[in-house]
Amino acid sequence: MTTNSEATAAGATPGAAPAPAGSSHVEAMPRAVSVLVFLRDRGIFVLWGLLILVFAFWCSPYFFTVDNGLLIANAGALTALFAAGVGIGIMTGVLDLSLPGTAAFASCVCGWLLTHGSPTWVGLTAGLACGVVVGIANGLIALRGFNPIIVTIGSLSVLSGLAAVIAGGYTFPGLNQLEFMGTHRYVGVPAPVYIVALVFLVGTVFLTRTRDGIRLMAVGGNAEAVRRAGISSNRYTVLGFVISGVLAAIGGLVSTAVVTEASPQASPQIIFNALTAVALAGVALTGGRGSLPRVLVGALILATISNGLTIRGIQPYWATVCTGVLLLGSLMLERLIQASVSERLMAANLSVHQKKV
Amino acid sequence: MTTPALELSGIEMHYGFVRALDGIDFHVKPGEVVGLLGDNGAGKSTLLKVMSGAHQPSHGSIRVQGQAQTFSAPRDAAAAGIQMVYQDLSLVDAQDIATNLNLGQETLRKGALGWLGFVDRKAMRRSSERELDRLGVRTAPMTRPVEMLSGGQRQVVALARSAIRVNGESQGVLLLDEPTAALGYEQTKNVEGLIRRMADQGIAIVVVTHDLPLCYEVADRLVILNRGRKVADLPTAGADRDHVVGWITGSRPSMFAA
Repeated sequence: MTTNSEATAAGATPGAAPAPAGSSHVEAMPRAVSVLVFLRDRGIFVLWGLLILVFAFWCSPYFFTVDNGLLIANAGALTALFAAGVGIGIMTGVLDLSLPGTAAFASCVCGWLLTHGSPTWVGLTAGLACGVVVGIANGLIALRGFNPIIVTIGSLSVLSGLAAVIAGGYTFPGLNQLEFMGTHRYVGVPAPVYIVALVFLVGTVFLTRTRDGIRLMAVGGNAEAVRRAGISSNRYTVLGFVISGVLAAIGGLVSTAVVTEASPQASPQIIFNALTAVALAGVALTGGRGSLPRVLVGALILATISNGLTIRGIQPYWATVCTGVLLLGSLMLERLIQASVSERLMAANLSVHQKKV
Repeated sequence: MTTPALELSGIEMHYGFVRALDGIDFHVKPGEVVGLLGDNGAGKSTLLKVMSGAHQPSHGSIRVQGQAQTFSAPRDAAAAGIQMVYQDLSLVDAQDIATNLNLGQETLRKGALGWLGFVDRKAMRRSSERELDRLGVRTAPMTRPVEMLSGGQRQVVALARSAIRVNGESQGVLLLDEPTAALGYEQTKNVEGLIRRMADQGIAIVVVTHDLPLCYEVADRLVILNRGRKVADLPTAGADRDHVVGWITGSRPSMFAA
């Protein structure tokens, strides 16, 4: 694989390699293993860099410009928001398929309020509150021991129906007061890009630096262990659903703002794009591992590919083909790295237990 | 005689018509290691679950440090200073050693960030290193994910986590379920050493196992169950192996008058 040489160079940076502790009886990780682990955890950044490099030359001079960069960021923004919802859900052990329904419901509630004369902030707050309520409902139902996938498919159906009922079968057009978070640009940067940046920044800090975030991830990895450590894991399961519900609502409100129209259409395409980004980011569906910055890059990779191919005048269908190939390729690479790491750990007499993939 | 760290008397446990435990008296003193032996279905696991609060006995009483207690959930037992190390270890694979050791009792940062729930990773790493050093089992950097540790190292992390927790309660009780079942020879020796060191620090330890050599290595006293009854309770020193096996299989009559 061509990425190998690059990664070797990159692996030399101290950030990725586990720092050897001071004590002498503490064994160091074999070097090859640190490189491989780096590749597994940071490989997607390398991949994105490579894609940008390729397109920069291939689509010169139109691709590698600030304007085009913003275009890509803006195009990836919606996918990124939903991917954050799906990603956090999966990391905490719940696959929330109701996201498109939540998004449509939230935007229709917001649209109804705005067209009936409520102030903008009331509409937006109500939209976000919808996300919270849906999350709590999903969580409480799933806690009764039902499969979260089926539960959220059910709520997807309920919510998209309710959204259509609120909209009376039509849409809420002309929501110009939402333009400030849709097409408006601040310092040349479109509003959704700021929202995405904020969401991912807060989300990443929350998941890696705070007690509740760390416990949330731990619940995704091994809920029983967390329960035995004396923590009420149910609360965190519900929290996971609430976060993904709120992110879906944010996604719905931003899409509404971009087109200044609230539509009850709950497109399943949203969830598939988001899942693709999450899978590209190497977030294991078994939960407990993954990182938000990688999910963001996953969404940006999708946007980058479709942007680059569009510039070259290639039919957009090829972008989907490309994404699919990349996804399958990354799966295989991950398997390869995994096998190689275990093999090397065995050889170094460290051994490693059977990994769930 | 010192007060037992944990004392059970007249414990009975019924599952429907099945009598899983029948009038069990059991105690373990601070700093003592008791090996709980028995064949499959003898009631070891059930007794362990009664001690850890997972099961409520049909009859009988539990005393911790002389205080009568009733456990309605494992959390109550943990609050009384009893920690259980499960056979599956209950570690979060994707998280590092420090996070696993501190799960449920994370150190928060001082000041405003602490109010927001920010954890102090450095402090947790330092305290984890200190605790593991004290137990003499520091073998890998605190930042290494548990999934990259060997079976022995994982067992040590699980044991150390419980040891840290019971130490906070002054003299606590550790319940170990088959601590060496998945380990090789050398790793087993390490874990045996760790169990002894924990006992020397005043922790009362109950080891449930099939592994007779392990018991002879670490236990001060052996308690043997057969078909839900206690059939033997004797110091390890001088316990004849053939007799012990006889009690386990049921071919030797109980030490206690029926």
